[in-house]
Amino acid sequence: MAGVLATERTLPGFSFENCKRNSTLLQQGFKPPTAQKTGTTIVGIVYRDGVILGADTRATEGSTVADKNCSKIHFLADNIYCCGAGTAADTEMTTMTIMSQLELHRLNTGRPVRVSTAKQLLKQLLFRYQGHIGAALVVGGVDVTGPLLYSIHPHGSSECLPFTTMGSGSLAAMTVLESSWKPDLTEEEGKVIVRNAIAAGIFNDLGSGSNVDVCIIRKGSVDYIRPFDIANLKGQKQNNYRFRRGTTGVLSTRIIPLVTESEEIKKTEVESMDTSA
Amino acid sequence: MSSIGTGYDLSASQFSPDGRVFQVEYAQKAIENSGTVIGLRGKDGVVLAVEKLVTSKLYEPGANKRLFTIDKHIGMAVAGLISDARAVAEVARTEAANYRSQYKSSIPLKYLNERVSMYMHAYTLYSAVRPFGCSVILSTYTEEDGPEMYMIDPSGVSYGYFGCAVGKAKQAAKTEIEKLKLKDMSCQELVKEAARIIYLVHDELKDKQFELEMSWIGSQTSGVNQQVPANVHAEAEKDAKAAMEEDSDSETEDI
Amino acid sequence: MHYNSVIEEKLAVSTSIIACVFDGGVALGADSRTSSGVFITNRVADKLTKITDNIYCCRSGSAADTQAISDIVSYHLAFQKAETGEEPSVATAAAVFQELCYNHREQLTAGIIVAGYDKVKGGQVYNIPLGGMCVEKKCAMGGAGSTYVYGYMDSNFKENMTEQEVKKFILHLLALAMSRDGSSGGVVNICIIDGQGPPRKEFYIGDQIPKYGI
Repeated sequence: MAGVLATERTLPGFSFENCKRNSTLLQQGFKPPTAQKTGTTIVGIVYRDGVILGADTRATEGSTVADKNCSKIHFLADNIYCCGAGTAADTEMTTMTIMSQLELHRLNTGRPVRVSTAKQLLKQLLFRYQGHIGAALVVGGVDVTGPLLYSIHPHGSSECLPFTTMGSGSLAAMTVLESSWKPDLTEEEGKVIVRNAIAAGIFNDLGSGSNVDVCIIRKGSVDYIRPFDIANLKGQKQNNYRFRRGTTGVLSTRIIPLVTESEEIKKTEVESMDTSA
Repeated sequence: MSSIGTGYDLSASQFSPDGRVFQVEYAQKAIENSGTVIGLRGKDGVVLAVEKLVTSKLYEPGANKRLFTIDKHIGMAVAGLISDARAVAEVARTEAANYRSQYKSSIPLKYLNERVSMYMHAYTLYSAVRPFGCSVILSTYTEEDGPEMYMIDPSGVSYGYFGCAVGKAKQAAKTEIEKLKLKDMSCQELVKEAARIIYLVHDELKDKQFELEMSWIGSQTSGVNQQVPANVHAEAEKDAKAAMEEDSDSETEDI
Repeated sequence: MHYNSVIEEKLAVSTSIIACVFDGGVALGADSRTSSGVFITNRVADKLTKITDNIYCCRSGSAADTQAISDIVSYHLAFQKAETGEEPSVATAAAVFQELCYNHREQLTAGIIVAGYDKVKGGQVYNIPLGGMCVEKKCAMGGAGSTYVYGYMDSNFKENMTEQEVKKFILHLLALAMSRDGSSGGVVNICIIDGQGPPRKEFYIGDQIPKYGI
C-alpha cells in the first residue's frame, strides 16, 4: 500500500531534493527567478443546455503585462474545455498532457470521454506533484451524464459545482455569479453573466485585464468566441491635440551639411601555384 | 504407468502430444503413497483426520504433524510430501497474515483457497520448478457462512467439499464417507466417524504403525481451529478400535 | 502579491464533522465550508464522501489530501470486493484509511471519521485523527469547530437514539459549532446509513438550521 500516495523520491518525474536547498537560499536573501503567472479571472457556469467557460486575456510577469491577448481556455477534448489560472507554463503543460491522455482514452474506449475522467486525471497529476505544479483549473464539458463543471485546485482537490471561478480575480467574479446565477439559464443570459463576471475581474483585479474570451459547450457543439468582448476599448478622444503647421514661429535657420566617410574593403582571389610538375 | 519414458515427462512446462502434463500426474502419484487424509464437513463444523504412517519405532510420537493451523480460524490437513506441504502451509499463513494486517479482519476461506490454488498452479507452468507433491485440505467455520472445506491438488485445481479423502486408501475412505449423512452430523459424531474410517482403511499388512491425528473447527470451538481434545480423541480411537475388533470377529465367523 | 496568495494557499476543509451510531445504523453530519485562507472557495461542499455502498467518511483537514485518500481507499475496497465477492466491512475500511494516514503522517493533513454499516457488526464509527491513530467510538467528532461543542456532545449523546433523535442531535450540534467557529458554516449535511436500502442524504439550509444566542 505504501507508495500509493506517490511522494517517494525514487519515482520518476519531478525531484524535490532541491526544495530544501532553495528555501535555505531564500532565507539567506537569494532572489529567485520568477515564472510568468497569469494573474487571472476565469469562470464557468452551468446553463440549461451545457456549460459556459470564460476567461480574461492578460498574462503578467510581476507588475508587467507580459501578454495582452493570451488564451486561457484550453482544449481538452471535443466536448471538454478547461480554463487555467496560476503559472502559465504549468496550466499549458498540464492541459496538454491530459488532452493527449484523454484522446488515447477515447480511441481505446471508442466513446467520447467523460468530464469526470478529465477531472480525475488532472487532480491525480496535481496531487502527485503536491502543489508544485501551480495550476488552478476550471474544467467544463458535456458528456452522456449531461453538463458538468469542476474546479480543481493546485494541490489536487476538486469540486463539482453549478458555477465557479478561480484566479486572482475570483473574488470579484464570484460577486457577479453569486448575485445573478440561477438554475436553468438560457444561453444568452448565461453569456451575459459570464461576460460580467470576467469584466468584474478585469476592472477590479490588477492581475486581470484586456479581453473576455468565452467558450460555450453544448451537447454536440462548441462555440469558442475569442474575443467575445473587448472590455477596455480605447475611447474616442474628445479633442484634437494636433497643432497647425507654423503655430510656433521660426526664429533662425542654420544648415549643417552632413559629411560622410566610407571605406571599401575588397576581397581578392588567392593565386594558386601550379605544383603538378 | 502408461507413460514411461517418451521424453515428455522431463519438465512441468511441456505437454505430451495427447495433451497431458506428466510432471503433474507424477506429483499426484506421490500423494497416493502417503497415508490417508480425510475431511468431513458436518452441520456445525469440520473435522480433519490423518492416518500418519510411522516408518520406524524409533521416532518420537507426535513428530512431523500433518495438521496445521493457518490462521486461528483456518485448519489444514496435508497428504503427500511433508516438506512440500510445509512450504504450502507457510504460503497460506503468510497470505492469511497479510490479509489480516491489511484489512483487520479474517481472510475468507474462499479467497485463501483461491490464492493457494493459484500459487500451486504456478508451479506447474515452468521448467525450472516441479509441482508440489502434496494435496491440502482447508477447513474453516464462521458464524456467518457456517462450515466450509476445500481441497487443492498439485495441478492447482480445487473444489469445495462436504466430505473428501486423499492418500493411499482414498477410494475406500470415500466409499465410507458417502454412507454418512454429513449434513445432519455434529462435530462430536464426525470425530467418531473420522477415527473409525481411518482405522478401517488402514492397511495393517503393508504399513504396520500409524498415528491418528485429528483436528476440528466449528461452533463448539467458537470458530477456532483446534486439535481434537485428548479425551475426545482417546474415546473416538477406542471406539474405532472396538469397531475393528467387531469387524474382524464377524469376518472370522464367516470363514 | 496578495492576490496570488489567495489561490496559492492550500485548500482546507476546516470543518465541523460528526458521526455516531444510533438504533439501527450510523449517522454522519458535516458543515459545508471549504476555505483557502480567508476566502470561502466552496460554500456548499459535500464532506460526506462515499467509500462503498454502505460506508461513508467525514473529511477534515486538507481537501486535496482527504479526497486523494478517499479515492485510494475506495479503490482498495472495490478491489477487495471484486476479489473476495464480499461486501467490505467497516473495520476493513477504517484499517485501510488508518494504514495510509499513519504511513504518510508527515505529509498528510487529514482527520477522517469512517462510518458505515455491515452485516456482521451493524453500524460502526471509527475516528482517525491527525497522527494516523484509529479508535472505534459510539460518537466521534472532528475538525476545528468540534472543540466548541464537546460539552454539548457529552451531555446530549445517548446510545440507541431513534433516527429522528439522532438527526436532531446532529443538526443542533452542528448549528452550535457553525455559529461559534469561523471556519465552519454553510448548510448542514446529514447522511443516514442503516443497511435498509442505500444511504439517505439530507441537507438543512437557512431557517431549517436552529439559531442560538443573540
